[in-house]
Amino acid sequence: MANQVKKYGFVIDPRRCIDCRACLVACRAENNVPLDNTRIWVYDQGVVGEFPNLTQQFVPYNCMHCDNPPCVAACPSQATYKRKADGIVVIDQDACIGCGLCLPACPYHVRFVNTQTGKADKCDACVQRVAQGEAPACVATCIGGSRLFGDLNDPLSEVSIALAQAKTIKQLPAVGVDTGPNLYYINDPVDEQQLAVTAPHMPASEAIYQKLIIPGILAAVGTMFLGQAVAFAKQLRKGESEYDE
Amino acid sequence: MSDEILSLAERKRLRAKKIKKHGLANILTHWFNVASWVILLSTGLALLANPNLRIMPQGYIDFFSHLFGGVGQLVQAHKVFGLIWLFVISYNVLLGFRRYFVPFARKRMLLTSDDLSWFREYGKKLLGLKYHLPPQDAYNAGQKAFGYVVILGTVTIGLTGLIMTFAYLLPLELRGIVQWLRPLHFLAVGGIVTGLVIHVYMAAFFPEEKSAFFSMFNGDVDALYARLHHKKWYEDKLKEERAYELKVRLEELEAREAETPETEKQATA
Amino acid sequence: MTEIVQLSRRNFLKLSGATLAAAGLASMGVKVAWAQENGLTYDTIVPTLCEQCVWRCGVLAKVKDGKIHKLDGNPANAHSNGKLCARGQSGIMTTYDPDRITTPLIRVGARGEGKFRRASWDEALDLVAQNMLDIKQKYGAEAMIFSSTHNLSQPLFENLLYGFGSPNYGTQRSLCFNAMVVAHLMTYGLEEPGRDYTNVKYIIYTGRNMAEAISTSETASLMDSLAKGVHVVVLDPRFTKTASKATEWLPIKPGTDLAFHLALINVIMTNQLYNVEFVEKNTIGFEELAQAIGPYTPEWAAPLTGIDAATIDRIAREFATAGREAMAHPGWRTSNFVNSFQAERAIAILNALVGNWGNTLIAAGGEGGGIPLGKPTQPPYPRITAQRLDGVPWKYPLVPLKIGVFQEIRDNVLTGRPYQAHGWFIARQNPIDSLPDRAKTIEAFSKLDFIVTVSILPNDTEWYADVILPESSYLERYDPLLVLGNKAFLRQPVVEPIGDTHSALWIHKHLGERLGLADYFQYTDEVNYINQQLAPLGLTVDDIRLKGYYEAPHQPSEVAAEPEYKFNTPTGKIEIASETLRKAGQPAVPAWQEPPEPASGKFYLLTGKVGQHTQFATQNNQWLHQLHPDNPLWIHPQAAAERGLADGDIVTVRSDVGEVQTAVSVTEGIRPDCVWMTQGFGKLSLGLKTAYGLGASDSDLHVTVTDPVSGGQALSQTFVTVEKA
Repeated sequence: MANQVKKYGFVIDPRRCIDCRACLVACRAENNVPLDNTRIWVYDQGVVGEFPNLTQQFVPYNCMHCDNPPCVAACPSQATYKRKADGIVVIDQDACIGCGLCLPACPYHVRFVNTQTGKADKCDACVQRVAQGEAPACVATCIGGSRLFGDLNDPLSEVSIALAQAKTIKQLPAVGVDTGPNLYYINDPVDEQQLAVTAPHMPASEAIYQKLIIPGILAAVGTMFLGQAVAFAKQLRKGESEYDE
Repeated sequence: MSDEILSLAERKRLRAKKIKKHGLANILTHWFNVASWVILLSTGLALLANPNLRIMPQGYIDFFSHLFGGVGQLVQAHKVFGLIWLFVISYNVLLGFRRYFVPFARKRMLLTSDDLSWFREYGKKLLGLKYHLPPQDAYNAGQKAFGYVVILGTVTIGLTGLIMTFAYLLPLELRGIVQWLRPLHFLAVGGIVTGLVIHVYMAAFFPEEKSAFFSMFNGDVDALYARLHHKKWYEDKLKEERAYELKVRLEELEAREAETPETEKQATA
Repeated sequence: MTEIVQLSRRNFLKLSGATLAAAGLASMGVKVAWAQENGLTYDTIVPTLCEQCVWRCGVLAKVKDGKIHKLDGNPANAHSNGKLCARGQSGIMTTYDPDRITTPLIRVGARGEGKFRRASWDEALDLVAQNMLDIKQKYGAEAMIFSSTHNLSQPLFENLLYGFGSPNYGTQRSLCFNAMVVAHLMTYGLEEPGRDYTNVKYIIYTGRNMAEAISTSETASLMDSLAKGVHVVVLDPRFTKTASKATEWLPIKPGTDLAFHLALINVIMTNQLYNVEFVEKNTIGFEELAQAIGPYTPEWAAPLTGIDAATIDRIAREFATAGREAMAHPGWRTSNFVNSFQAERAIAILNALVGNWGNTLIAAGGEGGGIPLGKPTQPPYPRITAQRLDGVPWKYPLVPLKIGVFQEIRDNVLTGRPYQAHGWFIARQNPIDSLPDRAKTIEAFSKLDFIVTVSILPNDTEWYADVILPESSYLERYDPLLVLGNKAFLRQPVVEPIGDTHSALWIHKHLGERLGLADYFQYTDEVNYINQQLAPLGLTVDDIRLKGYYEAPHQPSEVAAEPEYKFNTPTGKIEIASETLRKAGQPAVPAWQEPPEPASGKFYLLTGKVGQHTQFATQNNQWLHQLHPDNPLWIHPQAAAERGLADGDIVTVRSDVGEVQTAVSVTEGIRPDCVWMTQGFGKLSLGLKTAYGLGASDSDLHVTVTDPVSGGQALSQTFVTVEKA
């Protein structure tokens, strides 16, 4: 987006994550997320190796606020959109019709249907906090300093500095689509296979809707309209004598 | 339309004569339905904003979005108007279910052999062939067919809309059906709109149906129109009329008899 | 705040400028997108203090419509630095726990049956006072035991205890850090040295699980240090989350920390790698240790610890090279074996050898001191002559009175020696779960005539109580001020208390008055108490309410070029050799003590914390429960295979004192001779609807073993068998 002044994004250093999951609770409280759901995750990748040569990686994870978000493309009611001013991908809860099409559309599986509202839900980078100049709840409370958030367009922001100093940088590529994720893993390579990143998926119902039903109805209405137009033209030519003789 | 030839005098007489076709409730329901359709169709089309679903141009979508103060409010408005529409229509149908709707469905909506031949003959007409349209009841076969589309479509639109509006109350496993309800909702609307193109054209532009158009305001059609277009119904009406006249006359007779003074009766006896 | 109000007004104008239709919809209660995006999610912010553990982070509580909406860490508090852990974040659900006790309860069924009736505060407090006074009259004040876990209202609790005249003071400390505290008292003359990570280059954690036993600011310091490249060695038989972050993890054999540290000292001393100047100036007894350390070579320690000699030698040299920038962390829950006291002494001496005092180890742990606070006047306590039931000092001469040997009280309740106890007043503590050998605790309870508890939840101890006095949660009450550095922090109510609950300040005062101890509670209410604390500063609660703390003017401390250290030990120096210990019949310098080992076929039962729970208190918190619902037993794949166990299988775990059934978690992350579980599960109280029936209690298994020097309960000295259930 050319006129996008800010470009908010996350930078995550898995080495600094201690899997305390304070972020999960902070997010739950801040955003009233029901107990059945969560907007963010910490993936415990499990103990790897044989005793005593072991490693274990904890990967904080949430919406990537993509440059080219497949969820926005999948949303039939434009409830999901990318904010022009700062690039945060949000859901207008009033506009959301709860169809759930955005869930499989997201290659990162960060979306869910909120069990209380019945609407699509996901990380919105705590826009209400960001509007007040606060960091998102997960970032603000991250004890290990693993989660960072800020304006990627600002070279002096915490995230830009972290990226500039990072030993390694990795974005999670989606399958078959260039999403342009704005979540960067630094210093500790993460494995997108293990994080089960997929291609965006469209359910059959939607394919039938888009490919068959809409063109079909348009054709039917169009044919009728054309027929009537011909009849009307004939009527105009013949005049209205038939009835009012 | 019947192709029988009537004398000019007869035409004039019939044209002046009015036959009641629609009650006030019917008229009000129809125009309420029209208004609701205008609102719901225009907002509904504006909701199809996704490029993969879009039918109307971006300007149209932006206009409605701004008019309602955002997509969210547009959705809410569509839902609220839809619920009002659904409530009023269902209420009216239920209110007059036994007195009006059941007899209507039984007498007016059942397809007869005449209806089937009407389709055949009307097809010939459209193709420019020689045709002979059979006499029709209060509604001709085409209107009946549209009626079915409307009834079926309205039920579908109402049910799918209702479920989608309150989908958040569904158990989690069932929420996925919304993905099927949307195409169904659209399909039902599309079906009705297809019919509506003819319905609106016939009513608003087609000269032969002028009388029917005005009947949706004052409830009456002229007898000539009825005789020409809905002969069966017209004849029924005539029968009803005669029966009524007969009844009135009999009653008058009885009344006169009752008025005869007692003494006179005794005297006759 | 003005800024915030303006923002919302601007948004409101935007709304009124919307179309008629939109306004109509808005008036119908339809939410508006921009309000969701830009609107405030709270009405006010109330600064207060966390009490989800004892670390006391600063909290900024956001309140919406009279309900707590969100807790943020307070950047002004050095313990939180703007952050809260999962437990701190979940404080909301401690307040809104549906199982909370909302009125005083008086037992109606048999004890342990869980049948109570609601009562008024007057009735409950009258009943408690009457029972306590009856016991005092019949058996003497010492027949009442008082116990409470470290909290801000402790001074008022102590007023009850000492004013009443009982010597029997139970704290949680002997179940936790007695070894560390007593060892550092004997060596440095202070209970616990503070840690400063600013300049640290090399850290050895001996069992300190910083990533799971979280102390917010210190855990953050560790993670910052690791990112800076600090070398971190973690000694732990279990692959903890701290171990997974460490530079190296050494799965040391349980009970041999002492051997490891003795070997480090050996390498440093025999190779003259120590800080000669610091040692000469600030320590005493170096020569004595030098003579005794000879046999404790890395080669000697290797077979004991399971860590090869070369590694021990390397770590010793690296540690010494880091010198003043090295830190051997004193640990926290250090009472693991009867030799843990000696291990802690070795750690204290290791630090002294590299002279890191004043750099990575510092005097102030943080709390207390600093600001001269007032307090209500009170008379001196009555003279108490009765012996303590926990054996201090007549059986444990080196254990400080304020710390005590909590687990010993039960034995004396059961034997009736030196005298029979008859009542127990328990405040903010859960001894049924926290003491080892739960069956023994329950048996001891049965010997008592009267048990009263002060609690928020109907936890396991409340289940066995006669009267329960419901306390307000920490987000609904005042407590005395907390002094931290040059700031005095206020705990103040964020919301109105749920039900008929009160603060400890209120409960202790009203009970004290009924016990004839009104002179010890000379304040009208909570605010009045804190006002009396603030009086010397010329302040009132209202002056500090908004910020949540008072900050003393910063006084530039004069740093001498050559700092002269004075330690609060008999010699004024760091005591490498302790005459106090020698007099008590203990080795004056650390010496190897062979720890007991499990018999063949048995495991060390290890217990420890997870980052989502605090001891025995938070298992019923619904948000924390969601993160960590139970406590499977960790077992090594090899040990599991020998027993035909697969992940998730239910096993019977048996110790000398009890058995439990629980699921196993098969993992490479533990020594094959150990099993591990976290504490606090296996609840008995049906009042805990969220936590009841989940997991197993380690307290059912723990054998009571007391370290004769520090009085600490040796929590790893329980050996168990594990077999498929």
